[in-house]
Amino acid sequence: MAVALIVGTKKGASIFVSDEDRRKWTQRFSLQGWSVTASTRDESGRFYAAISNPVYGAAVMAGDDLEEWRQLEAAPRYKPGDRGNPEHNRIAGAADFSGRYKDGGRFVDQIWTLHCTHGVLYAGVSEAGLFASRDRGESWEGVEGFNEHPSRANWVPGFGGLGAHTILSDARNPDRMWVGVSAAGFFRTDDGGKTWHPKNDGVPGETGQCVHHVAHDPSNAKVLYRQEHRGVYRSDDAGDTWRVIEDGLPVSELSDGHRCSFGFPIVLDRESRSAFVAPLDGDNFRMPRNGQLAVYRTTDGLRWEARTNGLPANSYAGVLRGAMAADQLSPGGVYFGTSSGAVYATNDLGESWHEIASGLPRILSVEAYIT
Amino acid sequence: MTVRVCIPRVLRRMTGGKRALEAEGTTLREVLLDLARENPPLALHLFDEQGGVRRHIVCIHSSTAIRPGEFAAHRVGPGDEVIITNALAGG
Repeated sequence: MAVALIVGTKKGASIFVSDEDRRKWTQRFSLQGWSVTASTRDESGRFYAAISNPVYGAAVMAGDDLEEWRQLEAAPRYKPGDRGNPEHNRIAGAADFSGRYKDGGRFVDQIWTLHCTHGVLYAGVSEAGLFASRDRGESWEGVEGFNEHPSRANWVPGFGGLGAHTILSDARNPDRMWVGVSAAGFFRTDDGGKTWHPKNDGVPGETGQCVHHVAHDPSNAKVLYRQEHRGVYRSDDAGDTWRVIEDGLPVSELSDGHRCSFGFPIVLDRESRSAFVAPLDGDNFRMPRNGQLAVYRTTDGLRWEARTNGLPANSYAGVLRGAMAADQLSPGGVYFGTSSGAVYATNDLGESWHEIASGLPRILSVEAYIT
Repeated sequence: MTVRVCIPRVLRRMTGGKRALEAEGTTLREVLLDLARENPPLALHLFDEQGGVRRHIVCIHSSTAIRPGEFAAHRVGPGDEVIITNALAGG
């Protein structure tokens, strides 16, 4: 089957479409001038792409064919008077020309992730928050149980700001969802979004865990794989408890002396139950160790092995949290983009990799869609 | 009164490709409010959720760059041209 990739970059989206063997790709560039930070597809087949611009803000584009995009008139937005996080406003540059931080307001400056489940389109944004649309993006409402969480005053921005970047759902239970926030940790609701509970037991730190990304199979949603700032973890109880799974992964010293496997994305191929990560050489360097771009795979959820066949040994670029995706075909295809604008693909679960593009702007998001 | 507003290239996707639009108002803020009202896809790009003009928008009027804090007081006349642009930054 053929696959389409929406590769979101700092300056637009590169759309790739494969042949039936997923070996040859066509490419075109769209949405020029806008950072494309996320994409998804709903049950009807409509695509959504999140765009942002440092001057003109964030919005959602919709399209049915990956060629024509229409901007939706509504977008996730906080209410007038919502109070913002001063440190996030400083990181996001929310000062006006006089240098004031907009009197402390709360703004959506970026949509980090889009997620469709049970007929609802969700957006995770920074300043960190969760928004829902029940009419295909024509209107949005904040998920107040999350956005006004009692712990919000203790949420601390990560290096890229205070962002809700990961949304997961349970195919069998519409009341259960998870959201990851840098750097506030991982949260779960079991009552349709009314209340949210931190799920970080086993991850170092009292509060403010810096979850980078989490992957799971929505049809078997008790098993979660988590790339944290401070290592790689697994949960077998829907996030109630976590344990380190780093056997075989490269371990680096972090800025605080902690030793673990640092990285950003983590994805799961559901059929083989294989998970993939792209380790970086610690949070000081944030590049592949010794220049070897490497993906590591686990097939048993415990032991990791490097899969580098076809990946460059002279790469000093990173792979951002949203920039890796699996197509869920058989055998599984995995795709990722780098901060230096290269895109790599495998159609055999990482046994071999092929560069399908280079020279793109910094890659922010990658999603794969069966066509 | 009617003024002509030049749209930056990055926003023309939201105007159906039009390079300029007409808007009503006696101040720059009124002009932008009318522009947003008549062209809904532009609204969230011109104004943030707190009701302010986005902080890095600059309007050029009579060869002078006007910043958002001055929009409410800056007067325009019939037939004037206003260019929407932005503070230059980035790479």
